[in-house]
Amino acid sequence: MTSRDVHDVLNLPSDHSGAPRPSKKQKTSAPRPNLKGLAREVQNLGGDNPIAIVPEVNFFKKRRFATRKPVAKWELKTFTNSARGDDGALVLRHWKRRTDDGAPPVEGAQDGDGQQQRGGGEGTPASEKREEKPEDSAFAKYNVKVVVPHYTEDQYHSNLQSNDWTKEETDYLLELAKDFDLRWTLIWDRYDFTPKPPGGGGDAANGEDTSTAVVPAPKQRSMEDLKARYYEVAAKMMAVQKPAQYMTRPEFELYEMMQNFDPEQERKRKQFALNTLSRSKDEAREEESLLLEVKRILARTERFNEERRELYNRLDYPATDSDINSFKTSAGLQNLLQTLMSTDKNKKRKSIMPGEGVSPSNNSGVPNSAVSETNPANRRESIAASATSNNHHHHARRDSDARTPATPADPTPTSAAAAAANKKKGGGAQQPERRKLTQQEEQVYGVSYHDRLGSGPTFRYERINKLYSHKSGQQQLRITNALSELDLPPRLVMPTAAVTAQFEVLWGAVTALVDLRKMSDRLDGEIKIEEAKKAERDRAKGIAAEKEGEKEKGEGGGGGGDGAAAAAAGEGEKAGESIGEGGQTKEDGEKKRPGSSGSLTAAGHKRSASVLSAASDKSSKRQKK
Amino acid sequence: MAQQPLPSSVQPTDVYGGDEVSAIVLDPGYINTRAGFAGEEMPKQVLPSFYGHITSNRDVFGDQAMYPRADFEIRNYMNRDSVVEDWDAATKIWEHALVNRLGIPRPTPPSKNGLNNKPKPAAEGEDVEMADEADLDETENYEKPMAENPLLMTEAAWNSPKQREKAIEICMENWACPAFWLSKTPVLAAFAAGKATALVLDVGGSNTSVTAIFDGMVLKRSVQRSPVGGVWLSSQIRSLFEASEPKVEVVPTFMVENKKPVEAGQPADARLKTFDFQISPSFRAYEEERVLKEFKESVVEVWRGPGRYLAPGNEDYAKNLPGRVFEMPDGSNQMWREQRFKVAEGMWDDNAAFPGATEEGKITKAQTVPGLIKAALDSIDVDVRPALLANVVVTGSTSLLPGFTDRLNHELTAMFPSVKVKLHAAGLSSERRFGAWIGGSILGSLGTFHQMWISRKEYEENGPGIVEKRCK
Repeated sequence: MTSRDVHDVLNLPSDHSGAPRPSKKQKTSAPRPNLKGLAREVQNLGGDNPIAIVPEVNFFKKRRFATRKPVAKWELKTFTNSARGDDGALVLRHWKRRTDDGAPPVEGAQDGDGQQQRGGGEGTPASEKREEKPEDSAFAKYNVKVVVPHYTEDQYHSNLQSNDWTKEETDYLLELAKDFDLRWTLIWDRYDFTPKPPGGGGDAANGEDTSTAVVPAPKQRSMEDLKARYYEVAAKMMAVQKPAQYMTRPEFELYEMMQNFDPEQERKRKQFALNTLSRSKDEAREEESLLLEVKRILARTERFNEERRELYNRLDYPATDSDINSFKTSAGLQNLLQTLMSTDKNKKRKSIMPGEGVSPSNNSGVPNSAVSETNPANRRESIAASATSNNHHHHARRDSDARTPATPADPTPTSAAAAAANKKKGGGAQQPERRKLTQQEEQVYGVSYHDRLGSGPTFRYERINKLYSHKSGQQQLRITNALSELDLPPRLVMPTAAVTAQFEVLWGAVTALVDLRKMSDRLDGEIKIEEAKKAERDRAKGIAAEKEGEKEKGEGGGGGGDGAAAAAAGEGEKAGESIGEGGQTKEDGEKKRPGSSGSLTAAGHKRSASVLSAASDKSSKRQKK
Repeated sequence: MAQQPLPSSVQPTDVYGGDEVSAIVLDPGYINTRAGFAGEEMPKQVLPSFYGHITSNRDVFGDQAMYPRADFEIRNYMNRDSVVEDWDAATKIWEHALVNRLGIPRPTPPSKNGLNNKPKPAAEGEDVEMADEADLDETENYEKPMAENPLLMTEAAWNSPKQREKAIEICMENWACPAFWLSKTPVLAAFAAGKATALVLDVGGSNTSVTAIFDGMVLKRSVQRSPVGGVWLSSQIRSLFEASEPKVEVVPTFMVENKKPVEAGQPADARLKTFDFQISPSFRAYEEERVLKEFKESVVEVWRGPGRYLAPGNEDYAKNLPGRVFEMPDGSNQMWREQRFKVAEGMWDDNAAFPGATEEGKITKAQTVPGLIKAALDSIDVDVRPALLANVVVTGSTSLLPGFTDRLNHELTAMFPSVKVKLHAAGLSSERRFGAWIGGSILGSLGTFHQMWISRKEYEENGPGIVEKRCK
């Protein structure tokens, strides 16, 4: 029998209608195991789809209780709840797992159950004896009660008398407070005190009595009234039991809190809350929008402040007390513009960090302000430094007024040039972070701040020479003379930075002196000319007078000689004065602010403010020493 | 049931608070009376508070007894205030629910329950004696059917002290319960929602009430109620039927013997049954109410808001919404469109209510749901109002009307724009229907609750007055 036979029998359309395919059949039958008899017939029933053979299982399910652990036993146990406070009169029952050691109690409980059935919880004394005491509920411990102050009659009369409250009402209040565990919302909700008519309850039954007796109307108490009274009582009783000075800290805090309870304030607060709650929708919306507006305004002011601070940081350049001479020329202004622009550029890269005065990392723009707060001299210097670093490409102008003071620690001009090169590099791309040094550190490391430096190596002495060569020959001679008077060689033997600086100051003073000398010479010359004119006029008069008397002529000549002598004396005085002045100027250079000293010397020389400030810086350092 | 002890790794760190003492929870209402064991999630027995009274002085209880018969009228042991009116009937119906239907197991004598089967060396005679004793118990127990089950009953928040005393009396005297407790429905509804502090809006059959619950207790001043409930809604539907053109006749199912399908709006083509006895008006009203209930469940919808239904434009919009067809038991059917919104609108807007045929159908603004909530909140301390509005518990079957919670949310947010309003409305319809019972089931199976029961001994010492003192 094949599947086709089955199909025939069942009148099903054969799925491979037409010619039978014995070859395929052979194929499929080939791998089949050799089955015999009925097994083969059954196999054939499946046809092309082999019949699934399920392995024979001769047991249904594994036994569950292989361990033979006994079934957990449960028993209906009685229990009481000690929190009830009725000495276990109510015995309830719940199912509990039986513990092994509880065999004897079970028996007792069983009897107890029987008893309970009969009497609904009551047991005869006889059974009570046999009965194991039912266990206490595990939940009894959660029963917590608040402590409410107690007072005796005497205590009430001595401490708690009140015009507004009778003792009965106070008692009632405390009772409620205890019942409702001090939940004031509930206490106020349930507060319903009706004072007893005076004369006692017994008489009240009498109709006559009630009609005549004045029945005090129950007072409407607000929650604040109730609280105030309760806190008053509680605080007073606390103080009675334990005077305030012996209270522990938490106790005293509680005491104080209760004493300071202010019903009026509480009432106001509630009124306010009520108003807030009963706002209409529009009001609420308005308030919301106002709040939003406030928030926006605050944010805006915040932003505005931020911007302003940034602006201040940007604008925090040397204050007005500095010399603005360097910016007076168009070249100076150009410089300034360049400085600002490059600072701006730097800022774009690195936004200004607030509070940079303390942070060690600075860029070229910021340290000005930061330093300026600590030391005004430094500030200017660093501005000069930044200006230098940002303006290397203006070499063309540097020769006019740039006089580079050499660093004191590095006497070699090459190092100064190297420093300049460093600066150039730094200023070009990004100013490397500079640590702000204290003055002492600067001294130790030999750090100094420069005016702009030339590209090549320069000698410090060159500057003096340059100044020297600008002077006229006579002045040069005079200056040399003055220096030789002071036993100084015209060319310094050991031109360290400090010496050079000092020499420059001296040189400046000498130049000033020489200038004054020149001025005085000129004045002298003018005086002489005027006097000569005068003498001429006198002579003309004298010719007229000669006609009257010739005697006077000799006298007039004597007077002219006197005048000449006086002029000479005046000249000497002036020279002395100017020398003194020169000395003072020198001192001023050390003491006074650079601006003032600069103004003194500015008449003769064109010195940039930065150089002066460098000098003054050094002088101030010296002073410190 | 006590829990199987878990392995310590799975055991929750907090305490399992349940401790079941097979207490019974009984929650009577105007429409239904619910009864079941504490600790279960649904009441096992829900039977109508209406009962059949046969003139030959016999009362029958339960739905299956309510069929047309001679000298038969329908009564309710509760009144429209959800307070028990007929205590004799109440006792009977409760007993029927608890004893006959709930099948409170008769306590088996321990000697027979098989739990304590132990090979006893004791003499045979003793055993026999004990058995006799047990038999004696049995007969006694029959008179006191619930000697082993503490009973937790619910009451309306406005129940009077007298009613409460009556309740404990019945429980203690008639049924010999070992312990009793009386709890207010809104409190339990809040418990069912997992809240101790809540504003409970209970939209029930005969009443709608709003109650503030603070820390598991009712704030008495806040209790507000109005008749705007399921029954009132039925009267609105009747008014709608009266007002519609042509008038819609309510023919209860039991009167229809045969009906043929008719086109919408056509008069019914049905043959009505004739009875050879008088059908009492109360029975007919009860049956009509069932039809209206079906109408409520399948057609009526609450206008979801925002804004009232009567606000300009809303009605036109409602007219364009897809309508619903309702077929009366007699085969007449009709498409209901905007009317189905209008019928329920009176709950929210007194102006929209149909003028009822009777005076009691009329409601005032204060009786609408928003009015009730406002009044309830106004009467309590301002400090707790935000907490209550954040926990608004919606319960009661009538709150299952589609769109009810949406509308409520709109109304509340409009009324209290500056407070966060959160509604807690159970998604499961049975949880909404049996909210108070479920809360009672939770409460009655709590381990910490057992210290609260009024025990039999306390009752005997103090008399029924104790319920006023204890169940606050």
